Amino acid sequence: MMPTFLILLLVAFSIVLIGVFVFRPQVTATRGGKMTAFLALFALPLLCFGIGASTELEHAKSTEFCLSCHIMESYGKSLRVDDPQHLAGAHFQNHRVPPDEACYTCHTNYAMFGGIKAKLGGLRHIYVYYLGTPPAPENIKLYEPFNNRECLHCHAGARSFEEGAVHTADPDLLPAIKANKTSCISSGCHGVVHDVASLKDAKFWKGGN
Amino acid sequence: MLSTSPLERKLQLSGIVLILALLVEGLCLLLGHGPIAFMVFAGLSGALFAVGILLYLYSLVSAKAEPSKQ
Repeated sequence: MMPTFLILLLVAFSIVLIGVFVFRPQVTATRGGKMTAFLALFALPLLCFGIGASTELEHAKSTEFCLSCHIMESYGKSLRVDDPQHLAGAHFQNHRVPPDEACYTCHTNYAMFGGIKAKLGGLRHIYVYYLGTPPAPENIKLYEPFNNRECLHCHAGARSFEEGAVHTADPDLLPAIKANKTSCISSGCHGVVHDVASLKDAKFWKGGN
Repeated sequence: MLSTSPLERKLQLSGIVLILALLVEGLCLLLGHGPIAFMVFAGLSGALFAVGILLYLYSLVSAKAEPSKQ
């Protein structure tokens, strides 16, 4: 990703160049002027928008971005619960997911156009947050049941997953997990993910800042 | 400030709109780090970029069309 100051430099340069055509439009009478006008009024704005959009989309994956809405505060806190049974916290604290993209890593969709689907879901969140009636944090539900595909994106093939004692105790279990027939999180195995309702009694990890 | 020539006036308007789009983009990148900045960038700045670029392209097309009318 391009550093922000370089993008701002490009934006400033574009503004200055466009300014020439706003204040001295007669320079387009020459051939060189026409070519520069094409650069200033077409190519550079497209480039600036493209780079800006890519930067904003990349930033929208950050944990900081997701937790910037007040309603998500308790979900952010749940990442710091000092209890290895809390799935989200254990993943965040042990860097099983990148800490600066913790939310996106699990809540994106690892299918074709999954990233676009996740972004559209995000737009819906913004709409509900600012223009609708957002639910209480403990009442927030996923739009659809969590798909094992998102877990298997990292865990499939890993020794701890493929050869884990519990996973191999029943020979039908692993195929059922891989086919998304037995849910990782809602069939009683890894059930505690973001337990935001009981945060007031929880102990929190202070490290990792 | 706007030129009396229709072609130059369109170019000036296109330039003004594009400068506004770039200013909005700059402010979003500089000051905003949350969903509001994202929405302002995608919605407002995106629309201004589209209008500015389309106006520039229209000025080119209409400049070619003008002599044939005479």
